[in-house]
Amino acid sequence: MRIFLISFFAASCLGAQAAESLSFNRDIRPILSDKCFACHGMDEESREAKLRLDTPEGAFRKKRRGKSAIVPGKPDESESWLRIISDDEEEVMPPPDSHKTLMAEEKELIKRWIEEGAVYQKHWAFEAPVMPQIPEGSGSEIDRFVGAGLKKEGWQVTPEADRETLIRRVSFALTGLPPAIAEVDAFLADQVEGSYERMVDRYLASPRYGEEMARYWLDAARYGDTHGMHLDNERQMWAYRDWVIGAFNKNQPYDQFTIDQLAGDLIPNAKQDQVVATGFNRCNVTTGEGGSIAEEFVFRYAVDRASTTAQVWLGLTAQCAVCHDHKYDPISQKDFYALYAFFNSNADPAMDGNKLLTAPVMKVKPEGFELKMAEFDRRKGESQKKMKASKDWANYRDPAEQADKSTVVDSEAIWFEDEFPKGAQVGSSGHPLALVNDPVYSGAKSLKRGGEGMAQDYYNAGATPLSVPPRPRFFLHVYLDPKDTPEEIMIQFHTSEWSHRAIWGADVIEFGKKGTTERFVVGKLPETGKWVRLEVPGEKIGLKPGMPVSGFAFTVHGGTAYFDKFGVIGREDPASDPKASFLAWRKSQTGKPAKGIPAPLSQWLKEGPEKERSVDELVRLKDYYLEKVCMTLGGDVVPLRAEVAKIEEERKAYDSAAPSTFIFRDLAKPRQSYVMQRGEYNQPGEKVDPMTPGVLPPMKKMGARANRLDLAKWLVSAENPLTARVTVNRFWQQLFGAGLVKTSHDFGTQGDVPSHPELLDYLALRFQEQKWDVKGLMKELVMTRTFQQQSSATSPRWDADPGNRRLARGPRFRLDAEQLRDQALFVGGLLDLKMGGRGVMPYQPPNIWEPVAFGGSNTRFYKRGDGADLYRRSIYTFFKRTAPHPMFANFDTPAREQFCLKRERSNTPLQALQLMNDVQHFEAARSLGQRAMKAAAGRDERVDFIFRSVVSRGATDDEKTVVNDFFEKQVTSYRAAPEEAKKAILFGESKPDADLDAVELASWSLVANLILNMDEAIVRN
Amino acid sequence: MNPFFENQLLQTRRQFFGDTGVRLGGAALASMLTMPGLAQGGSSVNPGMPGLPHFAGKAKAVIYLHMNGGPSQLDTWDYKPGLVDQFDKELPKEFLGDRITTMTSGQGRFPVAPSKFKFSQHGECGRWVSELLPHTAGIVDDIAVVKAVHTNAINHDPACTFVMTGSEVSGKPSMGSWISYGLGAETEDLPAFVALTPNFPNGSNAQALFSRMWGPGFLPGRNSGVVLRSGTDPVLYLENPPGVSRTDRRSMLDALGKLNQRGFEKFGDPDTQTRISQYEMAFRMQASVPDLTDLSQEKPATLDLYGDRVKTPGSFASSALLARRLVERGVRMVQIMHRGWDSHGNLPGEMGNQCLDTDQACAGLIKDLKLRGMLDETLVIWGGEFGRTVYCQGKLTRERYGRDHHPKNFCMWMAGGGIKGGTTIGETDDFSYNPVKDKVHVNEINATALHCLGIDHERFTLRHQGLDERLTGVEPMNVIKKILA
Repeated sequence: MRIFLISFFAASCLGAQAAESLSFNRDIRPILSDKCFACHGMDEESREAKLRLDTPEGAFRKKRRGKSAIVPGKPDESESWLRIISDDEEEVMPPPDSHKTLMAEEKELIKRWIEEGAVYQKHWAFEAPVMPQIPEGSGSEIDRFVGAGLKKEGWQVTPEADRETLIRRVSFALTGLPPAIAEVDAFLADQVEGSYERMVDRYLASPRYGEEMARYWLDAARYGDTHGMHLDNERQMWAYRDWVIGAFNKNQPYDQFTIDQLAGDLIPNAKQDQVVATGFNRCNVTTGEGGSIAEEFVFRYAVDRASTTAQVWLGLTAQCAVCHDHKYDPISQKDFYALYAFFNSNADPAMDGNKLLTAPVMKVKPEGFELKMAEFDRRKGESQKKMKASKDWANYRDPAEQADKSTVVDSEAIWFEDEFPKGAQVGSSGHPLALVNDPVYSGAKSLKRGGEGMAQDYYNAGATPLSVPPRPRFFLHVYLDPKDTPEEIMIQFHTSEWSHRAIWGADVIEFGKKGTTERFVVGKLPETGKWVRLEVPGEKIGLKPGMPVSGFAFTVHGGTAYFDKFGVIGREDPASDPKASFLAWRKSQTGKPAKGIPAPLSQWLKEGPEKERSVDELVRLKDYYLEKVCMTLGGDVVPLRAEVAKIEEERKAYDSAAPSTFIFRDLAKPRQSYVMQRGEYNQPGEKVDPMTPGVLPPMKKMGARANRLDLAKWLVSAENPLTARVTVNRFWQQLFGAGLVKTSHDFGTQGDVPSHPELLDYLALRFQEQKWDVKGLMKELVMTRTFQQQSSATSPRWDADPGNRRLARGPRFRLDAEQLRDQALFVGGLLDLKMGGRGVMPYQPPNIWEPVAFGGSNTRFYKRGDGADLYRRSIYTFFKRTAPHPMFANFDTPAREQFCLKRERSNTPLQALQLMNDVQHFEAARSLGQRAMKAAAGRDERVDFIFRSVVSRGATDDEKTVVNDFFEKQVTSYRAAPEEAKKAILFGESKPDADLDAVELASWSLVANLILNMDEAIVRN
Repeated sequence: MNPFFENQLLQTRRQFFGDTGVRLGGAALASMLTMPGLAQGGSSVNPGMPGLPHFAGKAKAVIYLHMNGGPSQLDTWDYKPGLVDQFDKELPKEFLGDRITTMTSGQGRFPVAPSKFKFSQHGECGRWVSELLPHTAGIVDDIAVVKAVHTNAINHDPACTFVMTGSEVSGKPSMGSWISYGLGAETEDLPAFVALTPNFPNGSNAQALFSRMWGPGFLPGRNSGVVLRSGTDPVLYLENPPGVSRTDRRSMLDALGKLNQRGFEKFGDPDTQTRISQYEMAFRMQASVPDLTDLSQEKPATLDLYGDRVKTPGSFASSALLARRLVERGVRMVQIMHRGWDSHGNLPGEMGNQCLDTDQACAGLIKDLKLRGMLDETLVIWGGEFGRTVYCQGKLTRERYGRDHHPKNFCMWMAGGGIKGGTTIGETDDFSYNPVKDKVHVNEINATALHCLGIDHERFTLRHQGLDERLTGVEPMNVIKKILA
């Protein structure tokens, strides 16, 4: 068979020239793949007539009656050719019911190919790249490959773009932002050789570079800030997003970047960063929907992870083999499940629990974290030491162990006698406040209270708060009018609010929640016509020792009552008070110690004071008690204790500021994987172990069972023919708008063949030779003449090559969602460049989340942020996957429910509406207008300022005329209605400069709005 | 579609926009409607695919009434009088099977809950309809009921994704996006595909919606469903900023057109021309959308068809009326997603409210379309993402019961363009638990919808990541011939 496989060397033009000999991969395979392989290809199950045409063995094999589908050199003896040209509906291939037909040119090519010997080639992408000869010509190696292609067409490169265009192009390509005017000026002024390269280096060194690069990767990784299904609750894994940004900024080599993400957890002595990186495989959407069947989702997650890995690194549509063998590529169903087996032992659960942190998670500690924590502990220890050394500490005596019990003190505090407390602002309902002489229980007067329905005297302000004593028992004296007996009487207490009530009688007053301390029924009404003492324990109405009481009320319903001598009795008994007595505290903690007491102290407490303890244990318990619980120690202990508490608080704040993040781990015992028949989660077939697809070079495994680390290393091994090609192609796509392989996600037989196969191989091999240096590659690409060409072309040239596959002009395409928003903020001077952290919530119209979210979702209500949150770079915008921000949805950002390796670039009216009217954009335009007014005095200069801010070049005279006319119109219209101008400039949270004339500013805002909506502003030119 | 063809198409579009844009400018785009070479019906701003429709379809537009949460077939369309005697008896094991949600799989008992609602026969076709749907009962001769629809998914998220995108795994284009992609729309003032999310009764158990239900998946973003919202900003960012009038906007767009025209002359990029026309369409939408949503133009007799609730903005009834107005203006697909049908507990109470909220408007929509002669050209689809179990979830009494999710059989109805009214297809067993005759997959509903539009669902494919993707998935699916007109 080897004799039929010649190595892949396709001409770098797109279609076969008549004079050239045919290439199987370029000319024939796409036809066969599209029209024949579905029934005569890789998939055994759907193979018809036991014929396969994807291998020479299959096609040349003698079948019944000695015929072969293909006889090299002899179309007339080739059964397949005869069937292709047959008129008989029963005979003709492809059969009519397949809805596939061969076009005349395609038939011609097949015939020629058979005539020329039917030479098969292995699919190009599965062959190792070979370093091609660099063509003659000018420019860099890359330029010479491109130039060689153009020469064949008789085309030439387009001249270099002007310097303003170049700096904007490079700035956007490498940082996702336009250049500032000062940067443009500096570049224009630098006439010394190498100025372009220096400019490129500056942008590569900017932290903005990592943010721009990360955007594309996060699409591939399907990163989001919510789980993505059903409740779509928030999940916390932004540390992974920040890791990606950091990795690009640090220029981590792509091979290590790969290994960390796929298997960072398996690296011996892995650094924290490497484990954070495994978040890649936790980015997939998960469910927490009640009723879901666990096995189904465990299956789905592993399928997602295997498919994503295959697609992102290998450019293979492996998921096509979930249900059956791949129809076109040599990936069997078993191959797929062997890949799936790498990911099928995931430790994360089927149900995410709708939690912020679904295990496994890891705390991400900043540098110096341990040192800082140790420093807290040291400071705390020092203060504790001082505390223990103090006189008061040593002098502590447990009152329970003292012979003298005289320390028990009963106290009585009178809160009402003849009058309310001093300063109380008393209010009344029912008849006016009435202090009467008869009947009186004690003192000179009593309070008479009555009226229609509910009536009361109360205060909750003006007086010094009263304090609730230990073990409080409230008492009062009442006299019910026998002729006008109330249905209910009540005492109410005001602490932070009116939430403590004691009730006697019918409980008809609708205050407070029944059955709680807000509405406690003590008992029946007392006897009428005489003074009766009523009592209620403080705990029944939620009044605890030490609580400040800022008011109270005497309340009746449906009658009249007299109130007198109201107060509280307290009892202080240090020997039984846990805050004074160590023993009492231990007793109180027996059985169930309070939360937050550290082990083993909590255990010792639980066992009670009866259990014998060693001296050391007792000292430790007591130290804890004196430091944290005992309230009777005075002197130096008090400030020291406050100091310890403060240090603990700081420590806790610092500790909790370090976020936890989703990481990937395997179960201790791997799950057995099976080929799932028909791709159904509950139909396991043959057992499979982790393994890479058989069509690719074998993987080395370190242990008996291959793991993700083996897989990751294999992906970036020198033998792997795909990873480097797929990767450089995607970076190329990022810069040029389309990849050399246009189907950047599919390097299989159904994908496009490369427009410049040798260039692709050159780049792939060079990338590996340069140790997977991503910045180096990006630099090499933007340094080419190919990249620096003007993006303009004549109409016939556009028509001849609308997708610019031949690279005869510079790249020109619409900016992405994030770039558009960031540009507006940047030129408006509003952009906040803070990096990292939890996703922020900028402006978003109402009712994006609310009308779709599940009632119980914690992302049901959009809580817009304030201040800087409105102006952060878009990569930090909170990403809710079931209802993405309209900025994303409108401008083709994927919903991040699945990996996405290439965004669409649509052009819709909704985009126009957003760029014109969204507060985010309009506010930025106003801000740009304001900057222009301050930067320049003349009208033309201002127009220039705005143009230069947005498109890096000044306005032409012609453009100035158009803009000036518009400005003139606006000024006239706003002068007639200055209040409208005011409205326009006040749109948004940031405030306009008050010194500027509103009419002028509003008009300049609209000019800026106009220029930000120009086609040239919306594209990277 | 093969990449070569796609490329050709792209070129055609580019040339088309390029040419017309230069000569006519934005304002004169209307005259281009009659240009030859366009897909049938597609307008310049909402073009369809060349070669589509595959054949002359009866329907020109689709209104999809999605009852989100899974309405009970047992209490609406699948009449099982025999169940009264089975009250609280165990559902026989041989019916049950093993795929049950974990909400009820641990229940121990699966007692039969007969519907508490009365059924009676209606129309010339003599269809049995529950008393919950008195108005829909009045139009049974106009609709075809598909009684044994089944789906693969058993939970809301995957099932909603399935019914709307033909797959339970997210990432696929929605049905409306496919239709927009294939056929475009006959309007240049409105998008091809509009989605509506009306409010729903308080106290109903509402499930979430997902933007993927109207999302474009891997199709170009312009095919995304545009959500029309109730309130002042029916389309996002439709309103000019405060202090910016329509005249101001017009002046700005005039200036913008001039600047962009110069840009086009300089760079020659046909996308610039497309952009000019999209900005013009945006401007037209600023007028056409408020006009569209202004229901005060409707006659009282029309409003009466939809019932009182039509006067409440954001109601299902007003959305149904809006759907007619959209289709009337050339919009290709309208999808209304009414939430609250997930009755696990108090089904009779919740269903009562749900039906009260929708029944009259559903019937009103059909009558309204018919009166205007639009029903023949408009396909209307009604249904949820799955049905509900015959066995009770939670406490069972004759008056109060709940039902769990049931993917094996549920009822949907279709009416209008291409559909034969008064027909039925499919039968279920005595417990409405398994189909016994003519079961229909949700993707066959979708295949049938495409058929009504003149599209062969097997040939309507797009190559994506190595697969010829189509709305109706990889398994063989059939158009439901028995209900076709």
